[in-house]
Amino acid sequence: MKTWFKSGSPWVWMTAGTVSISLVAVLGLLLLIAWRGLIYFWPAAIYQFEVRDQLGNVTTVVGEIHDREQVTVLQLRESGREIDGAPTDLVTRYLVKTGNREFVDLDFRWILETDIISRSQPTNMARVERTKNGNFYGQIEAVLEQGKPVAGDVAEVLEQRIARVAELTDGMADIQHSDIGGINYKLEKIRLRERGDELRDRLTQDRIDDYNAQREALRTEYLGYEKELFALREETERDSVVIKDMRGESVSISMKYVLDVIYPNDMSVLAKAGHWFIEVGKFISSEPREANTEGGVFPAIFGTVFMVMLMAVVVTPFGVVAAIYLHEYAGKNALTKIIRTAVINLAGVPSIVYGVFGLGFFVYVMGGSIDQLFYPEALPSPTFGTPGMMWSALTLAILTLPVVIVSTEEGLSRIPSTVRQGSLALGATKAETLWRIILPMASPAIMTGLILAVARAAGEVAPLMLVGVVKMAPTLPVDGNFPFIHLDRKFMHLGFHIYDVGFQSPNVEAARPLVYATSFLLVTVIVGLNITAIGIRNHLREKYRSLEH
Amino acid sequence: MITVTPTGSTATRDLSALTDAETALEIKNLDLYYGNKQALYDVSMKIPKNQVTAFIGPSGCGKSTLLRCINRMNDLVDICRIEGEILLHGQNIYDRKVDVAALRRGVGMVFQRPNPFPKSIYENVVYGLRLQGIKDRRVLDEAVERSLRGAALWDEVKDRLNDNAFGLSGGQQQRLVIARAIAIEPEVLLLDEPTSALDPISTLTIEELINDLKKQFTVVIVTHNMQQAARVSDQTAFMYMGEMVEYSDTNTLFTTPAKKKTEDYITGRYG
Repeated sequence: MKTWFKSGSPWVWMTAGTVSISLVAVLGLLLLIAWRGLIYFWPAAIYQFEVRDQLGNVTTVVGEIHDREQVTVLQLRESGREIDGAPTDLVTRYLVKTGNREFVDLDFRWILETDIISRSQPTNMARVERTKNGNFYGQIEAVLEQGKPVAGDVAEVLEQRIARVAELTDGMADIQHSDIGGINYKLEKIRLRERGDELRDRLTQDRIDDYNAQREALRTEYLGYEKELFALREETERDSVVIKDMRGESVSISMKYVLDVIYPNDMSVLAKAGHWFIEVGKFISSEPREANTEGGVFPAIFGTVFMVMLMAVVVTPFGVVAAIYLHEYAGKNALTKIIRTAVINLAGVPSIVYGVFGLGFFVYVMGGSIDQLFYPEALPSPTFGTPGMMWSALTLAILTLPVVIVSTEEGLSRIPSTVRQGSLALGATKAETLWRIILPMASPAIMTGLILAVARAAGEVAPLMLVGVVKMAPTLPVDGNFPFIHLDRKFMHLGFHIYDVGFQSPNVEAARPLVYATSFLLVTVIVGLNITAIGIRNHLREKYRSLEH
Repeated sequence: MITVTPTGSTATRDLSALTDAETALEIKNLDLYYGNKQALYDVSMKIPKNQVTAFIGPSGCGKSTLLRCINRMNDLVDICRIEGEILLHGQNIYDRKVDVAALRRGVGMVFQRPNPFPKSIYENVVYGLRLQGIKDRRVLDEAVERSLRGAALWDEVKDRLNDNAFGLSGGQQQRLVIARAIAIEPEVLLLDEPTSALDPISTLTIEELINDLKKQFTVVIVTHNMQQAARVSDQTAFMYMGEMVEYSDTNTLFTTPAKKKTEDYITGRYG
């Protein structure tokens, strides 16, 4: 035993064990969120249960099994449920998602295994995805056009009508966002210009007339679009679908709410896989609905990536220049050392503190001043004096600045002095040597700093809640209205989205899979950003591989 | 066994009596301090044009320090302080008005270890020219061929000028660095132990090269290898503990040294 200890193998085992545990932890985490997140998009089977309740009444419950768990009899009795068996016996209970929110009290309910009389997977059972009130489960009976049944195969007709409504809805969204949104934007611009003239005492009658004329023209244009919109809306209301729900009643649902209908019990694995891809695509590319509990997360992805890139654009030059001064020009004395230590310690300040600083300094002081100087006509409603994209990017830039400075400095100090001297000996000045030799050679280290900065910034939520992130942003920070990039706007962020959906949502059960899916997506986005940066760095390293020897 | 055959003239000259036209550089009463520690003591010498001058001496004697004074590389050391003069064309290079970058264009330097830049062979050679703002591709191409031929490297690399310079062997890299230095056509070329990191064959190539270089440039070489000094130089300076002990024709210094210390050193009693 003693010799075994002396041989060093316990040490090897211990070190290897630590690595294994770390690996298992990371993989376990990724697998869990990937599995729970991605399974959400797989079309689940719809079950029909015959359930006997406490009073002996038999009811039918239709829905997807959302979760299952084991509870003790004792626990059930304590919650007021009379049940046979020893207190420690385990009973399985299922959480069933029944949907049909407007007709039943709860769209999720627990069913005890012991209460179930029968369980089946009837064919023709449809899951109707809607824009309002969540999913609807039931059997499709008919499709109505202006109240009259349409002849032909119901499923086929339904598919056509869904496609038709989707097209109409797209058209409506187009009009609402680009055309009417554009008019609103222009109207606001006119209002601001008029107010600006008023503030500068330049508001002559001519100008008032001119503005009014412009306004009138826009209003006429608007009325045209509105008419078009109403016509489309009326068109979407033409059809409806009749569905028999689990109470046995036939319910008519207007087609304008119907997004998609699938029959999971009749689908093959291949068809389900196809549907899975479509659903994942929709999740990534569409906007959230119903207080973020349904629909996609596109605005959040866009906001996250855009904000991180903006931050990178700000922090990289700033950090590199600061590192150059610290390493190349600053005197090697105590003051420099203190500054360097302070910079390194800045990385340890809790991020919420940066949020407070961002709100106090950027938003109120800088933003407030910008508003007074450049946007006085919009006051009292703030333009930049309110949380937004720019301040978020700047706050995170300050948060990640130490990381970039430290790694750049490290890169600079790794460059052999002989190379510097070689350049100087050829008649280069210090600045020329920096630009032509040192910076290119330090670029892999700068990229390392950027990678660390991006990884930190993309996952940061706390400071953003103070300086720009919102639950629901009506517009993206980039759109078709001049000047196309609107850094004053608030934006959505994947990290905040997770928090909002998981903990602020009115329907926590429904939202839980979305939390996993969004988490997985956030990890994917960060990994994607990092892999891009690492790729660039490896390319640069290959180019300047002299440093390796 | 390599035989020692000095290449300089056999007649003994008085090096301090060189005329201005024959002198490339004149060092006058140079003292150098690192902080409080004095590293060079009252060094004075005249370095003749278009000849090879070698500095020899034991480690730490100040020969490299003296060499680095000539193109002001010691400026990079914060605590370094210099008194005395080094005259190039009668102008003290430590004068306040002197542009250091311009000085270094006139006094090139090759270091102990090959230090090519992480660029292509071509870009390494034209680096100094690009610094001077020369962009004409034809001028650059000519300079590359001329310099690489001058450094006896052209035949080996002419087909791969755009390859990374790190693909070259150590000896080739050192010749590339020499080519880079002569591409900007300096008057004086300082070589700081240019072969100490190289194998014997590469060393031989570089030594032959030094012989060719003196036709065009004034060469000052620091070496710890006495045989090398004897092989390549026309005059040799022996330094010890920061002092210039003896400076004369290589032939004279190695055969009939005037000072006891020199004799002890070249006969291998210390060093």
